[in-house]
Amino acid sequence: MIKTDVIIIGGGSTGCGIARDLALRNIPHCLVEKGDFAAGATGACHGLLHSGGRYAVNDSEAAAECISENMILRKIGVKCVEQTGGLFVRLPGDSKRFRDMFLKGCEETGIPTEVLSPSRALDLVPNLNQSLEEAIKVPDCSIDPFRLCMLNITSSQKRGGKIMTHNRVIDIIRERGRCVGVKVQDKSTSEVTEIRGRIIINAAGAWGNKIASMAGSGVPMTLSKGSLIITNHRLTNMVINRLRPSSDGDIIVPNEAVCLAGTTSITVNDPDESEVDPAEVDVIATQAQEMLPDFGSTRLIRTYAGVRPLLKANGGDDRKISRGFRIIDHENGMFSIMGGKLTTYRLMAEKISDKVVEAFGLKTKCRTAEIPLEGQEELSGYPLSKRLKTLENIVCECELVTADDVEKVATEIGTRHIGDIQHRTRLGMGPCQGGFCTYRALGIMQETGKMAPEESMRVLREFLQRRFKGIKPALWGDQLREEQLVESIYLGILGMEQEQ
Amino acid sequence: MSGTYDVVITGGGMSGMMAAIALADMGRRVAVVSKGDPVCCLSTGCIDVLAAGNNPLGGIGSLPDNHPYHLAGEDLVRISLEMFKAVMSEEGMAYAGDMHANRRILTPLGRHKITCLVPGTMKFANFHPDEYIHVISFNKMKDFYPNYITSNYKNAGCSIFDAGVSTTMSIAQRFENRRFLEGFISWLKGLDIPEGRIAIPAVIGMHSAADVCNEISVELGRKVFEIPTLPPSIPGLRLFGGLKNALLKRGVDLYWGKEIYSVEKSGNQIEAVTLAGDGRPTRVQGNAFILATGSFVSGGLHASMDTVRETVFNLPVYLPGRRESWFNNDFFAPGHAIENAGICVDKSFRPVDARVENLFVCGSILAFSEVMKYGCGHGMAIATGVAAANACGEPV
Ligand SMILES: Cc1cc2nc3c(=O)[nH]c(=O)nc-3n(C[C@H](O)[C@H](O)[C@H](O)COP(=O)(O)OP(=O)(O)OC[C@H]3O[C@@H](n4cnc5c(N)ncnc54)[C@H](O)[C@@H]3O)c2cc1C
Ligand SMILES: Cc1cc2nc3c(=O)[nH]c(=O)nc-3n(C[C@H](O)[C@H](O)[C@H](O)COP(=O)(O)OP(=O)(O)OC[C@H]3O[C@@H](n4cnc5c(N)ncnc54)[C@H](O)[C@@H]3O)c2cc1C
Repeated sequence: MIKTDVIIIGGGSTGCGIARDLALRNIPHCLVEKGDFAAGATGACHGLLHSGGRYAVNDSEAAAECISENMILRKIGVKCVEQTGGLFVRLPGDSKRFRDMFLKGCEETGIPTEVLSPSRALDLVPNLNQSLEEAIKVPDCSIDPFRLCMLNITSSQKRGGKIMTHNRVIDIIRERGRCVGVKVQDKSTSEVTEIRGRIIINAAGAWGNKIASMAGSGVPMTLSKGSLIITNHRLTNMVINRLRPSSDGDIIVPNEAVCLAGTTSITVNDPDESEVDPAEVDVIATQAQEMLPDFGSTRLIRTYAGVRPLLKANGGDDRKISRGFRIIDHENGMFSIMGGKLTTYRLMAEKISDKVVEAFGLKTKCRTAEIPLEGQEELSGYPLSKRLKTLENIVCECELVTADDVEKVATEIGTRHIGDIQHRTRLGMGPCQGGFCTYRALGIMQETGKMAPEESMRVLREFLQRRFKGIKPALWGDQLREEQLVESIYLGILGMEQEQ
Repeated sequence: MSGTYDVVITGGGMSGMMAAIALADMGRRVAVVSKGDPVCCLSTGCIDVLAAGNNPLGGIGSLPDNHPYHLAGEDLVRISLEMFKAVMSEEGMAYAGDMHANRRILTPLGRHKITCLVPGTMKFANFHPDEYIHVISFNKMKDFYPNYITSNYKNAGCSIFDAGVSTTMSIAQRFENRRFLEGFISWLKGLDIPEGRIAIPAVIGMHSAADVCNEISVELGRKVFEIPTLPPSIPGLRLFGGLKNALLKRGVDLYWGKEIYSVEKSGNQIEAVTLAGDGRPTRVQGNAFILATGSFVSGGLHASMDTVRETVFNLPVYLPGRRESWFNNDFFAPGHAIENAGICVDKSFRPVDARVENLFVCGSILAFSEVMKYGCGHGMAIATGVAAANACGEPV
């Protein structure tokens, strides 16, 4: 049994942010996450550190939160935020009235804007649609959600925080009506551990209602699936938004060597419903192409979807639901934190940690806005350039990951999960999407004794199946060609179609 | 290399090369134009004829009516495979196998692949699961992890040889060296391998692999066989090398590394293709043309978001419905609907609805070939290549 003060359920941006906040206030805590960090909406998001512009017209509260958090995060997280700046582009036919409301909303919420003529906009992003009417520049940034989580966790671990990934909460322990702990189960060993604490924070995002119901409560929320597509090029160095009311496929975000375009918004019942429909891909690709014509001839390497945990609305369009967040005190020792955005994760963590401090009768203040994220010194700004030095024994040709990198990560974190390696090395993130390198990485883990051959075969099968799910909705052009090759190799040469 | 060819073949894969051999043997003047090296270079070198089912040749009759094998017919499939075997024997790479029975060969994952004709170096790969197998691997060899095999067979062992290099290509080149081979054999002898078979990844030499395999076998007194590897696949390269050599011997002109960028037509006849490459564009003129540019992998077909295009002559392409229906959900269930995409031809291998009379189509670019589903890659390419050559070699 493990004893602690605060149990945090969920290792998305919210949970990791809470762990850091509590650590900086010296409050013992334990975070449990059923997958790896950022396994939920956080890792499936668009990676946009919002300026708030997207919400300036309809949701001024969320807009104001975004701009103030944006300014904080670019200071404390230089290594996970890329200050790209963003443009809202108005194309022929887009409403001028919306543009005026946009500028007014930005002004009222304190979002700095600059109106650019078409030629000035084209100076900044030369491959924009040449017939644009104008563009408005805002301080949007690109953010790496996985890194963000890792860095928040570093602060927690440095101060004795207990972090348990690949452990799923299967039950909440209640005594005399109060929540006093959780039971968690290890994904690989199936071992069940009991964790006792004084307060439980439900930061399970879209799974929040499932957790709350284990404690006999509920949280009202709407689940909204959003899909995204990844290109194999960095088509733009700035975030590109469409200057019109939010709709499908109106944002393109540069991220390291690729671009992410999205999203859609479809109400779903189950947080695990994250299948991408080919029709969504068509919509996103078509819309993105309107802003950046090059998008039409670009290779799409994968699709993915996440489920947004939104505050419950009374019917209507999911997009009109506030992106603000809410804290629910279940008055039984459990708090739930709902809604919000990746951009406002720090603020969310601050508010709920304030509740914890209050419940414990303490007075410690939040310090997360002043202290830079710890552990950034060890990160290079661009991992690729660093790796160019050690080109020997390449495992992943697309992202230049070496056998040593794989072994090092596998040894350091003692992992048995291929996803952990992929997150930490970018293995398999390039055009082949792990089609070849995952086989190699698993071969290495198996040869170095970190995984049994049977286990690694199972993981390989699972990986290929999951990979195909992500690739399938956007499979044409060169990507289809590569896929035929991958399929022929695994089925035609290796004989993997046969069940064990 | 000028004047008008009797036949210009676009695409130098299994189907295009076999068509060229067949036509050259009929006394025709032939040119092969190819953008790059074909898919057979990536393959195991084994000839899949019909892996779905036990009897490859006998099973052809039960394939769906629109399968391209029916265009050739069982007899011609057999004749073309015999022809392929004869050509490879001539090149010192005799193939083994029975057209009426499939065989299983060991894969690097310890699974098996079902195929029909195999290079001599793999003829003993069809072993009984109780038999002892000793796997030889090479130090740091890329993409080959022998534990997958030894963990899947209770009765297996493994030893690792240090070849000083780690890629399939460089190890294979070492095996062409006498002293290296002798060193390897004496190392093997020192291992005291139990009674059984010896399995080595397919890197034991480039063109002399068959001899190397024999020599190891004789010296050790064991049956020895190769395990095909991931690309760069040496048996695939050997196969390609053998066929290319057979073309050259027959006086076929090769225009390699050149892409077709324009086609000249006059009425219902194609007259010439123009190739882009280094330097001046080359114009290749022919009385007849064969399209053998392969499927998506080779670029003979190209898919966009909602259509599929044939890239050289812009022929009409059969499309299996909208994109939602192109793929199965299961990666491991071979046979996605998109494999049906391709060119529909009539009995004489002429594309239908295309209004050209001197163009013939063969190989994996044909509609309904479903190569993965039926396991008929090289076999179908060989058969339709030879059959299309016959069709176009007949006086019009
Ligand atoms: C498609 C899409 C695009 C988005 N784009 C942006 C954007 O560009 N910018 C932005 O600011 N915001 C964006 N968002 C919103 C943002 O991603 C989310 O609001 C935010 O990441 C939520 O974080 P979270 O930690 O609350 O939830 P999550 O990241 O979902 O974390 C919850 C975690 O709880 C874990 N969990 C669930 N059940 C259990 C259990 N029983 N035991 C243990 N662990 C459990 C899950 O595995 C998960 O990791 C986007 C959302 C989506 C879906
Ligand atoms: C990885 C892999 C492994 C395989 N393994 C096996 C196996 O072990 N056994 C088996 O039986 N089958 C195997 N197959 C299937 C088999 O290789 C193919 O089905 C068969 O070889 C196809 O032959 P083809 O002649 O139709 O075309 P290809 O081999 O695809 O050849 C087409 C040629 O046309 C050229 N070309 C394309 N466009 C142009 C243009 N515009 N101008 C000029 N030239 C052009 C290409 O460069 C290429 O050389 C495998 C397939 C793959 C992808």
